[in-house]
Formats: sequence, structure tokens, C-alpha cells
Amino acid sequence: MRIYNNYILTVAALLLITTIILIATEQNSMDVFYSVYVIEALIVTELYVYFNKKSRRGLNLVGTVLFGGFVVVLCFQVFKAFI
Amino acid sequence: MQGKNPYTWSGFSLLITGIMLSLPAFFIFHLVWLTALGICMLIMSFILLSLGKAIPNIPPEVCGLLLETGIDNIATLIEELGIKTRAIYLPSSLASDRPRAFIPLHSNGSHPRITKALPQRLIARYGTDPEDIGLLISTIGSTATSMLESKPGANPYELESALTSLFTGRLGVADGTSVVLHNNHITIEIKNPRLEHSADWSHHCLGGPLATIVASVAAEAWDKPITIEHEEQLGGKYCIELEVIS
Repeated sequence: MRIYNNYILTVAALLLITTIILIATEQNSMDVFYSVYVIEALIVTELYVYFNKKSRRGLNLVGTVLFGGFVVVLCFQVFKAFI
Repeated sequence: MQGKNPYTWSGFSLLITGIMLSLPAFFIFHLVWLTALGICMLIMSFILLSLGKAIPNIPPEVCGLLLETGIDNIATLIEELGIKTRAIYLPSSLASDRPRAFIPLHSNGSHPRITKALPQRLIARYGTDPEDIGLLISTIGSTATSMLESKPGANPYELESALTSLFTGRLGVADGTSVVLHNNHITIEIKNPRLEHSADWSHHCLGGPLATIVASVAAEAWDKPITIEHEEQLGGKYCIELEVIS
């Protein structure tokens, strides 16, 4: 259970610190917030290599959903740039 | 909702709070920072819900009780028989189905030569001599080995990876391991172990719970019998020295 708690605390702390930094830098685009969150969550998940197969499968599914959202955000930005 | 663990409950709470926070913040109040916090909560809720499904429903206290009972029974058996020889950890190829510990009932100082798979019995015969008998028992290591995703190779890197995966990822009883190989001796260092080591008779014979797991995994990796030569707690580290019997 200890590794799961460490992982959850790491992701939560990282997301909160990122929020504080982005607010302090007067960032107002939700796209930037979301993209940074997704990239951070995916990197931390990859760094925790010793999860068991079942946990890894669940987290891969979460990663896929978050990455799907990231691709949608990216498509909107590309679409906006061309119009 | 019966049987849901704290991760699942926290996940549901964060999911509801995240939705209730981010939607009004984005569409009504137009507050970016509040919407961002809501999205953070939603990401955390997805992670918690996925981890909640992967964690067993049995409380750690119940696991502790089962472990203690099993160890007590083996300790009683060994003490009653007055066995003083150290156990030999056999790979599954020599113990019929899975790695087991073999305790010779008689010893002349040298390790018994086990060349073929022993029968799946408590009292097993390994030679033709009347004194060539011993106890073939399952240990925590026998069960822990089955938790490995694949059998590690006979080298220190693969053994280290398998042990770290087992101790840190699956069992949560240590923070990491390091393995060093010198000829037929393997030295394993376990960082921040959270399983206590007692110095009773059965522990002298079988080794501590962590040493038992390490010896079973190493026996399976090398596919050779292995004994625990030495084990000691040094501050935040637990050092185990194994000998591969050729």
C-alpha cells in the first residue's frame, strides 16, 4: 500500500504546485493548465515501474483517457490557428 | 458499495467535488484557478478509482494474522523435532511444483546432494541412506514467488529487479533492494524493511520472512538449491547472504 500512497501524494503535490506556479505567472488558458497536468501525471505514472499488473492496466486506461483529452485540446488549438 | 476500500471512496468524493467545482467555476464564475483546481481533483479521482480496483479487499491485519499463524505452526514443528540444521531452498524443478524449503533431519556438516525432484510430502527422502530424509515445507517465499510476473534470470540484475518489484510494488514491505554476486555467494541488501526479524529457533533454521522470500526467488532464478548463510539488520538495511549449492 505504501507505494500507492507515495504515488498518489506525488501526483497530488505536483498538480497543486503546478497550479500555484501557473496562477502566479498569470496564466489564463485552461488548455495550458490541462496539458501540463496530463504530461505530469503521465510522467510520474511511468516513473513508478513497480506497480503490479492490475494497477498498471488501470493506470494505463486513465492515461489513455487523459491523453485523449490532451489530443482534443491540441486539435482545437491547431484548428484555431488555421482559421 | 460493500467492500469498497478507502481509495475508491476518496475517488468518488473527489469526482463529485471536482465536477461540482469545475463546471460552475468555468461556465458561471469564469474563474480559471478554480476550474484548474477542479480538473486536478478529477484527474486524482480517476487515478484513485483505478487504484481502488487493483487493491485487495482483505485488510492488512487479517494478512498479518494468517502470516503469524503459519509461521507459528512451522516454528512449533521444527522446535518439537529439535532440528538445528539450516534449511535448503529448492527451486520448483527439485520440489515438484513450487520452490520449497528442505530441512535435512540429519547433517554431517556438508550440504545434502539433491539431484532429482523430491516427492510432495512433508517427510521426503533424497538419498538411499536411511538417514537421507528431511522435511519439505512451504514457506512465505514459496507463495511470494508465484506473485512474480515472470521467472527472473540467473544474474544479479534480474534478481534485483524481481525482488524490488515484489518487496516494493506487490508486498510493500521494503523500499528497494540491491544484489551483488561473488562466485557462488549472493549478497542482498534490503532498504528500509518493515517486517520484524526475531531470533528464535525456527528463524535460525529457516531464516526470517524476508530472507525466506529472497532465498526462494534466488533458488528459482538460479534453478539450484540455495541456503541462507547469514542475515542481519544494519540500521535501515537488512543484509542477507546466500550460498548457491552447486
